[in-house]
Amino acid sequence: MTQNSSSIDPRVNRLHLETDDHPTPKPALDQLETFEVFHQKKVGAAYTYVGPVHAANEEIAFLFAKEQYSRRAICSGMWVAKTQHVFLSGYADDATSIYDNLPTLSEVPNAAEQSYEIFHLKKRGKAHQHAGSVTARSPLHALYVAKEVLQTSPAVNVWVIASAHVLRQEQDQDMWATTPDKKYREAMAYRVQDKIEKFKAEQKA
Amino acid sequence: MYGGGNVFEATTFDNLAQEDPAQLAQFEARIARGEKIEPTDWMPQLYRKQLIRMIEQHAHSEIIGALPEGAWITRAPGFRRKLAQMAKVQDEVGHAQLLYSAAETLGKTREQMLTDLINGKSKYSNVFNYPAVTWADSNTISWLIDAGAIVNQLANAKGSYGPYCRALDRICAEEAFHLKYGHDAVVHLATGSPIQRSMIQAALNRWWPPIMTFFGPPDKMSTHTETLMRWKVKMATNDACRQQFLDMYVPKIWELGLTIPDPNLHKNEHGEWEYTEPDWAEFKRVINGDGPCNAERLAVRRTSEERGAWVRQALLAPKATYVKPLA
Repeated sequence: MTQNSSSIDPRVNRLHLETDDHPTPKPALDQLETFEVFHQKKVGAAYTYVGPVHAANEEIAFLFAKEQYSRRAICSGMWVAKTQHVFLSGYADDATSIYDNLPTLSEVPNAAEQSYEIFHLKKRGKAHQHAGSVTARSPLHALYVAKEVLQTSPAVNVWVIASAHVLRQEQDQDMWATTPDKKYREAMAYRVQDKIEKFKAEQKA
Repeated sequence: MYGGGNVFEATTFDNLAQEDPAQLAQFEARIARGEKIEPTDWMPQLYRKQLIRMIEQHAHSEIIGALPEGAWITRAPGFRRKLAQMAKVQDEVGHAQLLYSAAETLGKTREQMLTDLINGKSKYSNVFNYPAVTWADSNTISWLIDAGAIVNQLANAKGSYGPYCRALDRICAEEAFHLKYGHDAVVHLATGSPIQRSMIQAALNRWWPPIMTFFGPPDKMSTHTETLMRWKVKMATNDACRQQFLDMYVPKIWELGLTIPDPNLHKNEHGEWEYTEPDWAEFKRVINGDGPCNAERLAVRRTSEERGAWVRQALLAPKATYVKPLA
């Protein structure tokens, strides 16, 4: 290919970008803090982990999360929590349960009781799912309580988040109402094979 | 879209003798059992370094790959195509976000990765150093570069690192639209007027050589490569991916009555595709900075980073602390 002197990209032509300056390294926190995002596919389904976003605060994290994780798939609710507010258990082997190998809790802490959300990872490589909430006096204590009341099947890893640290968007479901209408984003909307068949028939004729 | 993470030369760090033998054995046994590795697990240095490199390059390829098609949003013919082109470009940028996060779980910050991108230290898929000079070029990228990327990504989604697999599962699901959208756009031109046909043929002629380099040069099979394949970091050789791509897409190009600009392209009696060897000297020259669009691609990215910095600084909470993403 030949060298193109004038760019095709309007950003290059209109902004008159310098192409030879030397960028300075990005400072720490240029990309802000991290948040973990959970979505609900339909009303009543368990909230499931979808991934992280970087943002300045919970509200902006929610906006980014909505764009990142629910612009394509159907969604009826979304939770966002700061990564640093998530307490993790260790990871067990598949087909074993981390609940059988919790760190020692020598005594129940003296702190006030509060509500914690518990998320289970059933199998390595899959996504954490909301298993329920418990009332406890610390995140580790919450693991012990969850072991009693929520452990219905093995969990290879458990996340514990104080309920007060979870930003929930459950009231404004109509923000997702038009997602299924955006057919131009769906592979199903492109009937390519019909066009090819028509073309081939015309070629033969 | 854009795989190509295994296109570039591997890391040179290969000293497994320094690793703890018991932990290494446990790690290898976990992978052999088909279990995924998660971020807090013990892992060999080579595994961590190679994955950071692959996932980071994949992320850069997504974000730079959004540029050639992004330039055609304002000129896309018709409102529906404009919407679809925008949705596709937004997906690519979203994929970069997912992949940067997956790489972060291994210990490289997003700031470090973006710095390495804009100062030219990290690579991205070489095909984006070429311009999309017509709408038909944009369509060719949407169909065939994405098709190549899907071959790559479906293979990598079966890899051993949990966060990368989760990101790829989501990416592959979204790519299904890109592939159909691109195919539809190419079919529209190929089955249209003589001018439309010649436009898509010319784009295919321009893009075929870069497409043939998309999967990278043939692998030198070394102990290093074998180790990475045993650890399910590298899932298929570059040549195997190229063969799979040719098998799936050459017939689809031919059925539209288009020609592929390689007189030597044919399937031999063993069922393998033979072709003119791509110009690897040009590939090397372009990937090292001397291509038609290298400078402007990085300039666009660098400018966005620089001009957006004050917004991020203004929003940053005084007590903010960085914690790497969990999974």
